Amino acid sequence: MANRPLTFLTFLSLLPLICFSFSPENPTDRRILVLLDDLAIKSSHSIFFKSLQTRGFELDFKLADDPQITLQRYGQYLYDGLVLFSPTIERFEGSLNLAAVLEFVDSGRDLILSADVNSSDLIRNIAAECGVDFDEDPSAMVIDHIGYALSDIEGDHTLVASDSFIQSDVILGTSKIEAPVLFKGIGHSLNPANSLVMKVLGASPSAYSANPNSKLSNPPTLIGSAISLVSVVQARNNARIMIAGSLDMFSNRLLKSGVQKAGSSNKYGKSGNEQFVTELSKWVFHERGHLKAVTVKHHKAGETNEPAMYRINDDLEYSVEVYEWVGKSWEPYVANDVQVQFYMMSPYVLKTLSTNQKGLYYTSFKVPDVYGVFQFKIEYQRLGYTSLSLAKQLLKNVYTSGVALMVTEYQFYIELLSANLQTEET
Amino acid sequence: MLRLLHDCGLPVDDVDFINSDGKTMNKLLLEDGCIKLEDAGFDWKILGPDVEQVDYVAWVCDQDAYACSGQKCSFMHENWFKSSLLRQMNDLAARRKLEDLTVGPVLTVRVNTVLGSTAPHLSVKLVQAFSSGSKGASIVESQELKFDSENDVHFLDALPKSVDLGTYHFVFEIVLHDSEEKNIYATGSRTKVPIYVTGVIKVDNAEIAVLDSDLGSIETQKKLDLAGETVLSLSANHLQKLRLSFQLTTPLGHSFKPHQAFLKLRHETQVEHIFVLGNSGKQFKIILDFLGLVEKFFYLSGRYDIQLTVGDAVMENSYLRELGSIELDLPEPPEKATRPPPQPVDPYLRYGPKAEIAHIFRTPEKRPPQELSLAFLALVILPFLGFVVGLLRLGVNLKNFPTSTVPATFAILFQLGIAAVLSLYVLFWLKLDLFTTLKALGFLGIFLMVVGHRTLSHLASTSAKLKSA
Repeated sequence: MANRPLTFLTFLSLLPLICFSFSPENPTDRRILVLLDDLAIKSSHSIFFKSLQTRGFELDFKLADDPQITLQRYGQYLYDGLVLFSPTIERFEGSLNLAAVLEFVDSGRDLILSADVNSSDLIRNIAAECGVDFDEDPSAMVIDHIGYALSDIEGDHTLVASDSFIQSDVILGTSKIEAPVLFKGIGHSLNPANSLVMKVLGASPSAYSANPNSKLSNPPTLIGSAISLVSVVQARNNARIMIAGSLDMFSNRLLKSGVQKAGSSNKYGKSGNEQFVTELSKWVFHERGHLKAVTVKHHKAGETNEPAMYRINDDLEYSVEVYEWVGKSWEPYVANDVQVQFYMMSPYVLKTLSTNQKGLYYTSFKVPDVYGVFQFKIEYQRLGYTSLSLAKQLLKNVYTSGVALMVTEYQFYIELLSANLQTEET
Repeated sequence: MLRLLHDCGLPVDDVDFINSDGKTMNKLLLEDGCIKLEDAGFDWKILGPDVEQVDYVAWVCDQDAYACSGQKCSFMHENWFKSSLLRQMNDLAARRKLEDLTVGPVLTVRVNTVLGSTAPHLSVKLVQAFSSGSKGASIVESQELKFDSENDVHFLDALPKSVDLGTYHFVFEIVLHDSEEKNIYATGSRTKVPIYVTGVIKVDNAEIAVLDSDLGSIETQKKLDLAGETVLSLSANHLQKLRLSFQLTTPLGHSFKPHQAFLKLRHETQVEHIFVLGNSGKQFKIILDFLGLVEKFFYLSGRYDIQLTVGDAVMENSYLRELGSIELDLPEPPEKATRPPPQPVDPYLRYGPKAEIAHIFRTPEKRPPQELSLAFLALVILPFLGFVVGLLRLGVNLKNFPTSTVPATFAILFQLGIAAVLSLYVLFWLKLDLFTTLKALGFLGIFLMVVGHRTLSHLASTSAKLKSA
């Protein structure tokens, strides 16, 4: 009987250790749920899964129609990321459905979604909620008669070799992907009203999306560079979503195969697929491009403490430190375009901060001659980086300064005084 | 050919027409020593006694032998032995490899068991070959593949001549030689293999014209060279039509319908419109009637870039050509016209740093120069000084100061009170804010009122007494 409270206590004390997954101090995800259409995908895509596991992720493989799947229990999420490699699932059994997946993303967690030819409506709807519209004809594939990959076995030009990547070092890594990426599947377009979704791998201008076995009578809806093969979304709560139209793009077969684009004489021994999907998965799971800003400091020039108020025309100094998460630790973030605004309903001063190349950003300026309550605001949004949004308020004082003004002030008071004296003496 | 042989001395009546399979023919040739002339052949060559253009002849022979996958009989006069023809042909033949498609494709079939060991003696037959899409009869009759014992493959060295471009399904069947082995091995059913026969499609007679809608007369017509780059510059208004036409033919001369035949018009604002070209036989044509398309084009006038894309899985020369531009003049949009769809914003522009803002301080009000203000200050103080001096000259009028104690204290207190108010003013200017000042002033004011009332009433009563006395 005495043992029970003891075990309970030890269990309680161990609880904090269990909860060291996703926290703002350690943003890399740890536990990932992988949903598959059939377990053969686990071995046919083993290189991709292994690359995730060697980076420290715990993968939990489940069939998509497993009724035991649950994303959260008692309000706590069990996983930090979700990989949906189940393009043909019509309906999730268990507690998972479209709303649950969207809630998962809304809570700030990440998602990798792969559709394919003949995807189900459920997968298309999830993608549509993220701002990505797949071709309405489910049996359509991306066909490119000029940018196709030369292959010994496929002759209908549905295996496309694409090298139109997004220009972003943070999303695709600093080393350039030399070989084109092999893709065989369905294409999608991005909703132009959505400002958060970005095309990472696009199709060439001669590509179109159609059923290769039937003749075209109407022009296809997706044509040319408007077709996106892989897109990402960086949501406002910093959740990251990757949507791809081909499950084969992640498969061992295409990861290991060589590639030669039709019409070009460059023959690559290994396609760019492995580098592409590995670097992109690093970005999606927050191993790159996740920023935080700490230690905001502001003071008058020459002092070190933060005053409660400033006077007009004071010289003000402001500094902030920005760090980037690189998978295991926070490293100083180096850039030359971080800007601060001195803001009261609209920015009065907007300055680019200078940096000491070690993550410290600073600047100095004169306080404007407008009275009121101001804020130091940093709104930093760059392609592929989480957005930084800081605001620090301070007061402004009414006092003016300046010698010439004082003379007229003195005059005013002296006149008042003398008038008073005169009137009361008489 | 026969005439040449007769000329060379062949007996005129010694000709037989024989139709048999390969094995029988082999036997005949070996045993009887006759000359066999095959009927089907491609580019027979008879090289006469005049030896000239050796390089060209070598090249043609090599091309026909390999690139066209079949060259049958050739006769060469002995004079050619002295030339370099044979050596050149040898060199040309040696450089041909399948990888760069300089050799005609040979269809090979390798048969082994499910676990990978070699198969027993069998033959592979090409039972049917039909074009996918057509339900017609097979284009090839049952044909057995030859066996190459060195590489252990069965091969078909030449495709049937009637095979044109397109996708075909070849149906293969395995036939075991030894009937007892049927109990050990199972051959399965027929195997269907998709084969893509690719080739170069010829594009002819490409032309683009702007027609008048009503009359059908041609306003501008230009020939296009779709193999090279063309830069057109046309103009049309909404009452006219645009017609683009060309012909596509396969190497064997049949008509060809590619999977992708698009015409794209792209406006300066990046709004695009795609049209599919239709065909009748070999002729591909599209007529864009701008009168009916005005609404589809969102009433946008201006320059449209024309792009033509033709492609197919079996077409080796699929192309995408920028043909130039056309200036379209469309009428003004009415009130309720649909707006063109929004174009996506370039993501790089969305995320750039903003322009810097530096606060422009208000210019301070124009103040008079220092000396003027000081001079004015002196002028203001002057009357006050004059007042004080005058007071001193006249002497402070203390005669009416009350002498008896109680009124005197009141009078003193009154003077003190006034001084206190004045010092309060000074304090207010230096340090205090309005609220504390007003509070103090309140107290002082009440005090002053009481004291002052007493003093003044005392003074008034004394002067009244003086007057009455």
